[in-house]
Amino acid sequence: MKISVYRYHPETDTKPRMQTFEVEERPGMMLREALLEIKAQDETFAFRHSCGEGVCGSDGMNVNGKNMLACVTLVADLKQPIEVRPFPGRPVIRDLVVDMTQFYEQYRNVQPYLVRKDPLPEQEILQSPEERDKLDGLYECILCGCCSTACPSFWWNPDKFHGPAALLQSWRFLADSRDQATDERLDALEGPYKLFRCHTIMNCVEVCPKGLNPTKAIGQIKDLMLEKSV
Amino acid sequence: MSRRASGLKAWVIQRVSAIYLALFGTYLAIRFAFAAPADHAAMIAWVTTPWVAVGLLVFVPVLLAHAWVGIRDVLMDYVKPIGLRVTALSLFGLLFLASGLWAVQAIIVARIA
Repeated sequence: MKISVYRYHPETDTKPRMQTFEVEERPGMMLREALLEIKAQDETFAFRHSCGEGVCGSDGMNVNGKNMLACVTLVADLKQPIEVRPFPGRPVIRDLVVDMTQFYEQYRNVQPYLVRKDPLPEQEILQSPEERDKLDGLYECILCGCCSTACPSFWWNPDKFHGPAALLQSWRFLADSRDQATDERLDALEGPYKLFRCHTIMNCVEVCPKGLNPTKAIGQIKDLMLEKSV
Repeated sequence: MSRRASGLKAWVIQRVSAIYLALFGTYLAIRFAFAAPADHAAMIAWVTTPWVAVGLLVFVPVLLAHAWVGIRDVLMDYVKPIGLRVTALSLFGLLFLASGLWAVQAIIVARIA
């Protein structure tokens, strides 16, 4: 099968190009394995990967125009020739490797950890099964970046709009019965950019390899904000 | 811009205005599709019907508020140079204000005449 990959080395290339490789397809072959075959043919080809089973979130990339994780994508399911590009909207460091700094900064901005005002107890802070259920569909995020880099609002304002991944985590802590910083979290999201650049385009939902729904989480943040302000 | 311009307020205005626009807009669409006023006199008679006049007087500012939030969003997303953005926002603001006042004036004049 033919795989066309994006090649760009900013220090030596004047502009990016697509390079086609011929890889022998095996039954059950994942795209990550095909890219490793390419790497064996041309060791200058660069891409990130680690666990190989959709847990670490390292090998997010744009395949045939859609963001996905190479390690959990069967090449048999892809239309050929397969076209592999880096995440859209991110500065390219080399080939498929992009600079995700702004993505992580936006994640850091939502304070993705429990904030307690009461003194910490000696034991765990207990939750009822119902309270715990509210975190389902939120905590599973692996921060691969497929959603935020597929979001047009994040393309236009990556420095100001938090993006779907960070906002899903914002809701994950707002929804957590053990967190005690609801008002501060909501106050920090006010203004037209951080939260409200979301125009429910829903590319995030379409591409999430974990099947999560950041758009719904963003809607729940807006609802809570409204509830707390009227 | 991001310090002063509202997020939640603009979003609520957009959502609430959308409900009224959907309801009254549907009425307008049906009215004009199936029983459009035949001539100018019939149009005036329709506009001056008290509940239609009130409906239209509410419709105009609600439509413009909705349009304002929408155009503000578009300009915030796509127009980066701050001078150009402020100019565009001002021009649209004035355009909307003028259209709104003109439309309201037309409804009131029709009522008086």
